[in-house]
Amino acid sequence: MREYFRYFRWLYITLFLLLALFGFLSAGHAIIARVADYERTNTECATLERVFDYGDVLTDKEEDKLRKLIARREKQTGCDIVLVTLQESLKDYARGIDPYVDYDEFVRVYAEDFYESNNFGYDRPNGDGVILVDNWYREEDGGIYTWFCTTGRAKEVYADADIDHLLDNVYRYIQRDPYRAYKTYVNDFYNDMLGINIVHLNVSGIVTWIVGLTAAVIFVAGHWKGKSGARTVTATTYVNGAEPSFGVREDRFLRKSVVRHKIQSGGSGGGGGGGHSSHSGGGSHGGGGHRR
Amino acid sequence: MIYKCKNCGGNVVFEPSRGRMYCPHCEGEDSEDEIRGGALTQCANCGAPLDVQKYASSGRCEHCGCYIVFDERVEGVYEPHMILPFRLNRDSAVEAMEREFGRRLFTPRDFMSTKSLEKMAGLYVPFWLYDYQARYDFAGEGTKVRSWQSGDTEYVETSYYEVIRRMDVDFDRIPADASYVMEDGVMDLMEPYDYHALMEFAPKYMSGFYGEVYNQGAPELEDRAQAKARGAAEELLQGSLQGYSSVRPLRKDLNLQRDGVNYVLMPVWQYRYSYRGKSYLFHVNGQTGKVVGTTPVSTGKVLAYGVSVFAVVTAACRLALSILEIL
Repeated sequence: MREYFRYFRWLYITLFLLLALFGFLSAGHAIIARVADYERTNTECATLERVFDYGDVLTDKEEDKLRKLIARREKQTGCDIVLVTLQESLKDYARGIDPYVDYDEFVRVYAEDFYESNNFGYDRPNGDGVILVDNWYREEDGGIYTWFCTTGRAKEVYADADIDHLLDNVYRYIQRDPYRAYKTYVNDFYNDMLGINIVHLNVSGIVTWIVGLTAAVIFVAGHWKGKSGARTVTATTYVNGAEPSFGVREDRFLRKSVVRHKIQSGGSGGGGGGGHSSHSGGGSHGGGGHRR
Repeated sequence: MIYKCKNCGGNVVFEPSRGRMYCPHCEGEDSEDEIRGGALTQCANCGAPLDVQKYASSGRCEHCGCYIVFDERVEGVYEPHMILPFRLNRDSAVEAMEREFGRRLFTPRDFMSTKSLEKMAGLYVPFWLYDYQARYDFAGEGTKVRSWQSGDTEYVETSYYEVIRRMDVDFDRIPADASYVMEDGVMDLMEPYDYHALMEFAPKYMSGFYGEVYNQGAPELEDRAQAKARGAAEELLQGSLQGYSSVRPLRKDLNLQRDGVNYVLMPVWQYRYSYRGKSYLFHVNGQTGKVVGTTPVSTGKVLAYGVSVFAVVTAACRLALSILEIL
């Protein structure tokens, strides 16, 4: 056992240091969350409701849990957090407002309009806040669309990459557990608003398992190989003077060719989007969308 | 021939740690008298019948324990050009093995304490050492590729070169063992030996050890030596082609000219251990102490260490990701 711990001491020390750092950061995060208690100053909001499950994808119990979570997170972030699920085509609705809008932005038009018409915003009407519109209806082009709309301080915090990251996380669970997906939306938003947003990684949990497994296989294979004896002869072992001599060593340039091609920019499986800014009515919104 | 102590009449042997002849009975040094004679069938010391293996050049009488060097196997066509005397004695070889076993992580903990020695012998293994002059003429087409982006366009530029090499290499003393008993793979792993310690052959270095004459002649083993030379030459040439993204050979002409060949005896300690009903054979380079041989593997250790690495690395990755997410 002593031999085991002596062998792995650096690995365990590293793990311990990471654990300590994680604990330290988590504690700091919790303290900031506890201290943060924004006072709501918008008195013109049309509703107290935040969870609009028109698509009927959540149970009543799940809706209640989300409402409680949102109420807490709103105080901690100083932003309104709204969720809308739909199960209908938004084509007529969106084109009624903007005749040239494309399929992937029907949800954007709906989200911005919904946010503005209800006067959402923690500090003022159409002020700080976010809204996620997830329309489960498959539009004529075959896509199901989601839009994450940011306003005020939230818009300042969210860069395109951050929006993609949040929507990727939502899409990770959306098909098998919508409640978990929407809870992720609320919690990720909270983390992003409280964090300092240096790093966003789209790394699936399974990647860490694969890294661990690969490390174990390499480790075992490396030590297994060493059970007979290693080869200790190199190419120069029997060379007189330890190196060859080159009577001729020429590298003559012949010709050059250049090929160019356009770089295709495209989204991943969950469906692209992100990076949109618009001004409409009294508000200015940012945000981005994904398709599934 | 046998070596008898001038002082006490005991059998004098070559003692690697002293680097000279030594009488273990009276502890005299360089006190040997070379007594020639004896036959392959009879001990030159006590006259007892000997059971000599086909290629043996030295051995030990089972009756009187005297080490005998067989005259006719170290003279004439069988006289080695050189010999690399043992530098490690028995205790040093055992220490080298125990150090090696300690380094091998998956060796069972009780292997060191519960293994039992079945056989132990110091052997002079016959080798042919080949010298070659190699000339490698190579011509090929090499490419260097670089790419860059400008706007939404990616550019890939490929430059083509005519690559010409004429490489001369002098290979000195490429070894090939000339013993049927010794596995080629094991003997290859024993390399390299430090040839600076090679001595002109003298039979006295064999007193105290077992030995063999070459089982195969130099021409029969030349293919093995040439394969080693060709492999090394190819590797050296490839080393001169670095910097290219790819090289397509158009002409490869490797010519090996044999410069000389020597018959040499090299020192190897051989140990056979028994552990849990199975035999394990180990060879130790009698000069450098390099150990070759397969140790048993503890399944429990493989599992414990493998699972630990998996668990700790996975946990560390997850923690690192969580930390980055918090940031």
